[in-house]
Amino acid sequence: MGRHAVQRLLMAIPVLFGVVLVGFLLMQVVPNDPALVRAGPSATPDVVAAIRADMGLDKPLYTQFGLYLWRLLHGDLGVSIINNVPVLQELGNTVGPTLELMFASLIWSIPIGIALGTIGAYRRGKLVDRLITAFAVAGGSIPVFFLGLVLIWYVGFKLQLLPFTGRAGPLWTEEGLMGIILPALTLGGTFIGPVARMTRTAVLDVLGVEHVRTARAKGLGEFRVVTRHALRNAMIPVVTLIGLQIGFLLGGAVVTETVFSWPGVGRLAVGAILSADFPMAQGTIIVLSLGFILINLVVDVLYAALDPRMRA
Amino acid sequence: MSAAIEPLVQQEAAPPKRPGTLARLLREPAAAFALVLVVLVIGAALLAPVLSPTDPFDNDLSLAMQVPGSPGLPLGADAQGRNMVTRVLYGLRVTLLMGLASVAIGGILGALVGFAAAYYRRIDGLLMRLMDVMLSFPAILFGLALAAIFGPGIQAVVLALSVATIPLMARIVRGSALAVMGLDYIEAARATGMSDARIILRHVAPNCLSSIFVFATLRFGQVILLGSALSFLGLGAQPPIAELGAMASDGRNFLFFAPHIAVIPCVAIFAVVLAFNVLGDALRDALDPRLRT
Repeated sequence: MGRHAVQRLLMAIPVLFGVVLVGFLLMQVVPNDPALVRAGPSATPDVVAAIRADMGLDKPLYTQFGLYLWRLLHGDLGVSIINNVPVLQELGNTVGPTLELMFASLIWSIPIGIALGTIGAYRRGKLVDRLITAFAVAGGSIPVFFLGLVLIWYVGFKLQLLPFTGRAGPLWTEEGLMGIILPALTLGGTFIGPVARMTRTAVLDVLGVEHVRTARAKGLGEFRVVTRHALRNAMIPVVTLIGLQIGFLLGGAVVTETVFSWPGVGRLAVGAILSADFPMAQGTIIVLSLGFILINLVVDVLYAALDPRMRA
Repeated sequence: MSAAIEPLVQQEAAPPKRPGTLARLLREPAAAFALVLVVLVIGAALLAPVLSPTDPFDNDLSLAMQVPGSPGLPLGADAQGRNMVTRVLYGLRVTLLMGLASVAIGGILGALVGFAAAYYRRIDGLLMRLMDVMLSFPAILFGLALAAIFGPGIQAVVLALSVATIPLMARIVRGSALAVMGLDYIEAARATGMSDARIILRHVAPNCLSSIFVFATLRFGQVILLGSALSFLGLGAQPPIAELGAMASDGRNFLFFAPHIAVIPCVAIFAVVLAFNVLGDALRDALDPRLRT
């Protein structure tokens, strides 16, 4: 397992480098001269030149790349062109809400998805199974924004049951809890289908295996056979597959945040790109990528820890 | 007498016929329905200029936000008073083209990588590690990055989705190509002095076609979902282009007064993606039992 973890860590290095390089390239292709933008329209050429020198823009490209790396390592992601707020500070404010939203979405959708998948596998070919499979396929085909808009329109607007814009407070306050329900239903709702399908496949694989037959033969109740002997062994692939779906979830989170004006990294990224706020766009993309790489790494190592066969 | 015997002989002579792929596909009602829907959707997109009652950019502000079922407007009108039937038809066209371009570009490049990795074992490791690196980014991040670099637009979306498709297709093709590569007849083809390109094209590729086809169908649904999401965010197709995701985004501003403006394009996306997903699953079961889940 140690070797596996080290291998995965090493694999992450070129990926990280790729992210950093893309971030750097992003700033190179910016149509406007960053120094000019920073200086403002009324600045004299002298001031612009001074700012250019200060930002290192007069140096050769590889020196600029070095400078950029140096700043990154020191957590300096620049300042927003739009409102002059440091990018890092803005990111610090938005990472929390994004994690909160993901947590609130997963906490209900994963158990339901696993339960549906298990029932489907156990009742393979029966009507229940067909219904669950149909539901899962439909759930995996629905645009996130469709689900979000329908919930906003019906639950938020028609029934006036729950708030649907912004984040009123942290998760542990009543306003915070009420405010996250619709976004979490939206994001989690699109996740149930994939989880149910993966679980169904994994449980089907395990149900036919010898130790499950043995458990049945020794007279264990069906519920116990499924939960204790089949589901438990099916969890390894399920955990891995759920981990691999985090990218899918991240995409959904960007859309969900935009639909519900949820103040997360995804909404920040989209806003920055649309307003051509390049430092902010660069910062958000780097942070989203880092988060994604980190999650993948954790899932990988977790997988190795869960599966005794990987320890050899 | 002889007339009575004849049919018997004929029956014996005919070899037991295995049902064709299409027949096996159509046996499943959901798959048959999906196939019909896919054909209809493609037909509607192709024939949009003929079927549309109006020009996609023609607006009549006096009709703005007319509800579905109004005279002459079976699906109502959007906030600019444009006929929704026309908008949806043209929207399907743009959305499907976006998906087709992404799957075709990404699929072809990915297939080339996959064949190269399977055929030239020396570069296999390198190529597949590269694919792993690409796989470690979700498509949405490619979308964000490319929209930031090139500016929002359909091109950025197609590029992002193509790039995201490459490693997936490469893995599928490599897998099914490797299964063929070990067989004797490839060795025989080599022994006859056939060129590498010819062996791949004539002997390896045909055996991978069904996996490629299944993957492309399923990928098409995913790409449309992702592409319309990027357009919904404002990073893809720009107004006034009729694209389903962009139309849903526009409708979002009028959700409380005229929900149909957002809901109709959403339903269209859902239907298209669902049809391709169901069809892809059915194709996989019919064509490629190895991939069955």
